[in-house]
Amino acid sequence: MNNSPIKLTLERRWVHKGVAIAFYLLLVCSALSIAFVYESTTLWYKIGMDKTMLRTGQLFGLLTAVQLLFQIILAVRGKSLEELFGVATLMRWHRANGIAISLFAMCHVALVLAPEGITNFPIGKKYWPEMVGVLLFLVILSMAVSSLFRQQLGLVYARWRVVHRVFGYSALVLTTVHVLFVSDSFRESVPKIALASGVTAVIIFVLIVKLKGRRKQVRRKT
Amino acid sequence: MKRLIYTIITIVLLFVGQTAQGAVRSWELDKAHSNFYFGIGHIFSVVQGHFTDYSGEIMFDPNNLEESHFFFEIKTSSIETNVAKRDKHLQSSDFFDEKNFPLMTFKSTKITDAGGGVYEVSGNFTVKGQSHELVLPLTFAGIKKHPAMKGKEVIGFNGKVTIDRLAYNVGNGKFFDMGGVGKDVDIFVTLEALSKK
Repeated sequence: MNNSPIKLTLERRWVHKGVAIAFYLLLVCSALSIAFVYESTTLWYKIGMDKTMLRTGQLFGLLTAVQLLFQIILAVRGKSLEELFGVATLMRWHRANGIAISLFAMCHVALVLAPEGITNFPIGKKYWPEMVGVLLFLVILSMAVSSLFRQQLGLVYARWRVVHRVFGYSALVLTTVHVLFVSDSFRESVPKIALASGVTAVIIFVLIVKLKGRRKQVRRKT
Repeated sequence: MKRLIYTIITIVLLFVGQTAQGAVRSWELDKAHSNFYFGIGHIFSVVQGHFTDYSGEIMFDPNNLEESHFFFEIKTSSIETNVAKRDKHLQSSDFFDEKNFPLMTFKSTKITDAGGGVYEVSGNFTVKGQSHELVLPLTFAGIKKHPAMKGKEVIGFNGKVTIDRLAYNVGNGKFFDMGGVGKDVDIFVTLEALSKK
């Protein structure tokens, strides 16, 4: 796989890996800090266990969103990441992350609903950001289930891949809309800018990788 | 024979006359122009809201208060305070417990003329399955030909009452104790109802 003309030395590779992982951890911690620094008003009216559950639910939600952004990066990969970690490792992370995202999303839904009463579902027009969240949850679950049990479900790989990709990008859009409108924490400019920057960075990353891939294909043909 | 016919006619006329006098006019709520508003203190400010889904029955005749009555049924899930998350919280067991108690009802038991166009409507206000006596002073705005609906008359009432939400078990007092949400709720009832002329 490693056919780059500029090969990284082992030492440099470890430094790059360390930087990449540190950057990832920094982003995760920054995202999680939003639940504390830009506390939502819903937390004001939760006491004791209810408050702990709601806050933990919000943390799981933020974690799901961050992991979803990284999931797209892991799926698209790009040459630099492939060189650094290897395709097999990235694929393994992508699969594990997919399962983690589903679990985080489940925890988010359960813990956010529990303090208001598990049967007190936010259904209706005025709860549209929550409804977007439900749709996102279903997209995430269907992606995880169809990936884990693709063969048992008799899904043809090529078709599954196309649908998986479409669902993946849809999840990105749904996440952005859900996070931006469901929580009043994201009415503050810093969290809003952070989310916009994260999503934009992922989109730019995808576009760069895709464009490079296309150029490579054209070069090969000519 | 003639005598018998006159007697029957007299009896029938008397009976019809009495029924007409006894029948209290029924009024159909104009939901677009009626509402149950409320205001409750929050630290220093007042949060206002209303209920969007309700039904009611108004039988009113100022000359026959004994047979007049008011009945209202309000869906607790229809609470609207302009903040969706707050509405969901108000529907939860912390306040209305909408899943177990989907309705609030008010059923009048007695109407008295308090003078100055005010009618004191005494009745049972049932919230979260518990009934409490409540006197709702309604100012009778009058009856007039509806300016927009042909052949219909409109009746109007407005009234204000303050209740202690904790007496009605709407919340256990934890938000009141922490100084966040007040316990006195100002209710403003404004009604328009229609009836065929």
